[in-house]
Amino acid sequence: MLESIVSYGLAIGAVYALIGITYNVMFSASRVFSFTAGMLGMLGGVLGALFIGKLGLPAIVGFVLVLACGAVIGVVTEIVAVRPVLKSIEQHLYVLSTLAFALLVQQLTAIEWGTEAQPFPRLIPIGSGWLDQQFWLPLLACAATIVGLEFLYRRTLVGRAFLAIAEDSYAARALGLPEQRLRLASFALAGVIGALAGFTGGEMLLAFFGNQSILSFYGFVPVALGGMGSNRGAVIGGLALGLFQQAANFLVGGIFAAVAVFVVFIAVLLLRPEGLAGATLSRRV
Amino acid sequence: MTDLTQAAMLATMPRSSWRARLGKLAPFLALGLAGLAFPLLGDSYWGVIVTRACVYWVLVAGLNMVVGFAGQIAIGWVGLLTLGAYTTSAMTAGTAMPAVSPYLALVASAAIGGVFGLIVGMPALRLRTFYFAMATLGFSTIVTQVALAWKSVTGGGIGVPGPVFGWPFVGDWGFYYFCLLLAGLCTWMTANLAASRFGRALVAIRDTEVAAESSGIAKPRLLMIVFLFSGALAGVAGGLFSSLQSYITPDAFTFDLSVLFFIAILIGGRGSVLGPLLGTLLLTALPEIAAPLVAWSTFLYAALLLAIVLLVPGGIADLLDFKNRRPLEQHREIVPRPELLMQLLHGKRGETLSLSGVSLRFGGVQAISNLDLDVRREEVHGLIGPNGSGKTTTLNVISGYYAPQAGEVRLGKVILPPQAPQLRASERIARTFQTPRLIGSASVVENVMIGGTIDGRGSFIESLLTLPRHRRDEAVLRERAMLALLTVGLDQLAEVRADRLQHSELRFMEIARALMLQPACLLLDEPAAGLSAEEIRRLGVLIKAISRTGTSVLLVEHHADLIFDICDRVTVLNLGRVLAAGTPDEIRSHREVVSAYLGA
Amino acid sequence: MPISVRDPLLEVSGLSAGYGKIGVLHGIELTVGAGEAVALLGPNGAGKTTLLRAISGLLPRSGRIRFAGKDMSATGPRDAVSAGLVHVVEGHRVFTQLSVFDNLLLAGYGLPRSARVHQVEEALAFFPEIAEKRRDLAATLSGGQQQMLAVAQGLVQRPRLLMLDEPSAGLSPVLVDRVLAAAAQLRRTGTAILLVEQLIEKALATVDRVYALARGTIVLEAHAGEADLPNRLEQAYFGQDAQAPLQT
Repeated sequence: MLESIVSYGLAIGAVYALIGITYNVMFSASRVFSFTAGMLGMLGGVLGALFIGKLGLPAIVGFVLVLACGAVIGVVTEIVAVRPVLKSIEQHLYVLSTLAFALLVQQLTAIEWGTEAQPFPRLIPIGSGWLDQQFWLPLLACAATIVGLEFLYRRTLVGRAFLAIAEDSYAARALGLPEQRLRLASFALAGVIGALAGFTGGEMLLAFFGNQSILSFYGFVPVALGGMGSNRGAVIGGLALGLFQQAANFLVGGIFAAVAVFVVFIAVLLLRPEGLAGATLSRRV
Repeated sequence: MTDLTQAAMLATMPRSSWRARLGKLAPFLALGLAGLAFPLLGDSYWGVIVTRACVYWVLVAGLNMVVGFAGQIAIGWVGLLTLGAYTTSAMTAGTAMPAVSPYLALVASAAIGGVFGLIVGMPALRLRTFYFAMATLGFSTIVTQVALAWKSVTGGGIGVPGPVFGWPFVGDWGFYYFCLLLAGLCTWMTANLAASRFGRALVAIRDTEVAAESSGIAKPRLLMIVFLFSGALAGVAGGLFSSLQSYITPDAFTFDLSVLFFIAILIGGRGSVLGPLLGTLLLTALPEIAAPLVAWSTFLYAALLLAIVLLVPGGIADLLDFKNRRPLEQHREIVPRPELLMQLLHGKRGETLSLSGVSLRFGGVQAISNLDLDVRREEVHGLIGPNGSGKTTTLNVISGYYAPQAGEVRLGKVILPPQAPQLRASERIARTFQTPRLIGSASVVENVMIGGTIDGRGSFIESLLTLPRHRRDEAVLRERAMLALLTVGLDQLAEVRADRLQHSELRFMEIARALMLQPACLLLDEPAAGLSAEEIRRLGVLIKAISRTGTSVLLVEHHADLIFDICDRVTVLNLGRVLAAGTPDEIRSHREVVSAYLGA
Repeated sequence: MPISVRDPLLEVSGLSAGYGKIGVLHGIELTVGAGEAVALLGPNGAGKTTLLRAISGLLPRSGRIRFAGKDMSATGPRDAVSAGLVHVVEGHRVFTQLSVFDNLLLAGYGLPRSARVHQVEEALAFFPEIAEKRRDLAATLSGGQQQMLAVAQGLVQRPRLLMLDEPSAGLSPVLVDRVLAAAAQLRRTGTAILLVEQLIEKALATVDRVYALARGTIVLEAHAGEADLPNRLEQAYFGQDAQAPLQT
């Protein structure tokens, strides 16, 4: 039992962590909390099942296609739902526009793909038990994403430009950094990461349009716990959330697990709105 | 002077005239009559749909206060509908405890809905927008998970039968009238609320939280009441919904429903009651009219939401607002009438505002150090200094946004509590802002009325039910606001949407709002910025006259000529310290000041 | 009394700008010659920072801006930078989470890779104090060093006109001299400078010509060496006290 709590908990936790990182990547470049993170995760699973399961493409081709679709949808999100409202004085309009966009995509999926959960193909037919692909693939994806992002931010000029925009977009603009193009790129990157989360977690979560709201929420919890913009917080929070959920499911049942997560979430928001490791709020007047 | 008082009275008259009121009531009356007569058609299929619209409206009416008025993005309110539905069903079916009457169960649902509305709403007290949206989304997700898992009470995936309401609302049409009655009641209550100081305060929290605070509006308390109210209505709607469905499973409460509620409000227009009511009717009926579209309905709602956000943020209510499309007169002049000040500010006492030994440091920067400042009653006190000298910081310490690390601020004998901006209004300290803070969608007079919010005596319940004390509050506030507008010279624009005003007019509107408080002390943050020379002169006369009624006035300003013209005393700050203090003449000839100010 | 400029690099005419409904600048006329150093003076709230933002395109504006013979009235900061019009914003806003060297590399974002490192080294040569700390995070620099870094960022693109917004703010007198000396040194290499500065005497010692801004309009234009300038500035700022006394 311990084995299945740990393997399943870590795997689902890695998916949450990746969705959390998706939120962060979009937030850093635009100061926008986008509702599309869960949608990207849902699409990763559905598109993976479509390309590989339904259309019978080779796994690697399907994988690359899924990530490419994620990037395209990220770009479309920025153009349709983010750019038009960034200029507006009303700062929360992006909540509505990204929600609307996420719902549009979800409903389209429900209509075209169906509202039933469908199986996700098994890609690598080796290993069983906790060595099964569905457990280690998300963890591998999460580790690769962290390493990749670290490389991007520390070793490339574009990555540093992302960091610069995240810290002070006004100064970055004055320096002549192409803010708009960088924002677009970060949404594409977020699209790839979100789709990766859904793809690698596909066998576990199935290809199901309803995963969107679940991933939206459980992917956001680690971000709220770890502080917006902190990838380290998202990973630690995501894995902890996954383990806790599985342990509670096995030991005391699903009602408790669901309620406990919600209570912790609300409590952290009320007591430490900046997250357990984040900075305090800035001045308003 | 009496002529002008009469003018003030007259200006308030047209609004309360019967014709205008009837015009406002007509759409509601027409809908109510249509609802009452509807069963005569005897169409039971449409009967169910209209009943459903009524049930939805019970929830949306309450949610409208949260989303449309307070501006909190509650996207998961379907969670409270689910909760209410299961509470009513489980109590009537007796799965958790002995079965009770459905009416009693409905009351219990209201109570539970209210409590959970409060719990879900709590993050909104400290955080805006996305976090709160997520909390409500999480709540709805979790309620569904619990409904699935808690089989003994909810029947899990198999479900539980909904209640059947008995006498006096027997049968399908009986139930219909029951729902119609409740829907009508909700309309009446929320319309009352919308037109009360509570409704205006909610909109102020939505559009300009800082100005709301400085007018003494306690955001947490007000929002808690509204979440309680809205949650209770959602609980009732849930009970009605379960009866309408006759059998409920977790599948019945999809997120699509939440989207429908939410979008009905946005289509209708924020800050309106009629708009969201029409929106609800429209969205409920739409899939029935266009049957092939049923599968696409949520997709269309989402597309509609995106279109509204990007294209018509004002919704139906804005499209129907013909009054504010009439062009305004082009060349308007602001002519203040300082002679009315005595009448507007009668009965209040000015007090000396004094800072002693106030120090504040942000990280490594000493913003102000050991600052002493006395702003005496009947005096205009100028506060000047170069950028970063601590003027605005001083203002923010006085109005309670920052807590100083040392020293205290007093008004008369009272020590002002640090970091409590919402408590300044009750000490009669009013202020204006560097950039005018306004409710763009509200009329000028309503904006001004915000300033007098704390002088209302009636409670939330009294406003909800439009009891006499509420009506008296409204009359008093409106009359005082009209007088304040006459005083600053904006009376002709009282009924115009505030966002149509010019910048200079907004500056005077802010002063009118501050005067609503009948302030003992008035803080002005760069009131002359962006004004023409003539407007600055009139502003100067007005400010000086305000001080002569006894008010102590602190004026932070860059326009040196205004400062030297109207101030009785001037304090010069540099690097957070007092560089000099004295009469304008002393300051003008003070060599050090001239060099610091000019940077020589 | 506009002073004619022989070889105009930047020409601004009829420039108006503001924030939302608040108009801050009204019909600004201003010229900076090639290789000339010009100071923009004025009391706070006059619109100096707004003017620099409007020129560099950080703020929407109306009016005409010509730079190096090209019309720049509708372009953004990115085009301004690549044309050689560089704006060092107020308050030494460097990227604290990046190293000194990375901060400078970003300033050369649009340059070809080979030129980038070379020009970063060139900029660092102006400021030996921060060249030693090139691997340190910008957060660890003192305020003065951060200001030098901000100016160095402005140099990476080899500007033809460098706009400096209050480079002395918050610095000790020694550091102020150091930063202004760097500006003077830069000027000798032929770079034009538009300097917003509160410290009038120091500014006058650095520049050829001054504009004074008050209430959003240019109220005075003069050569830096003109006699009685401080008194004329004072009058220009405070305005003529010609109004009748107020009565209540």
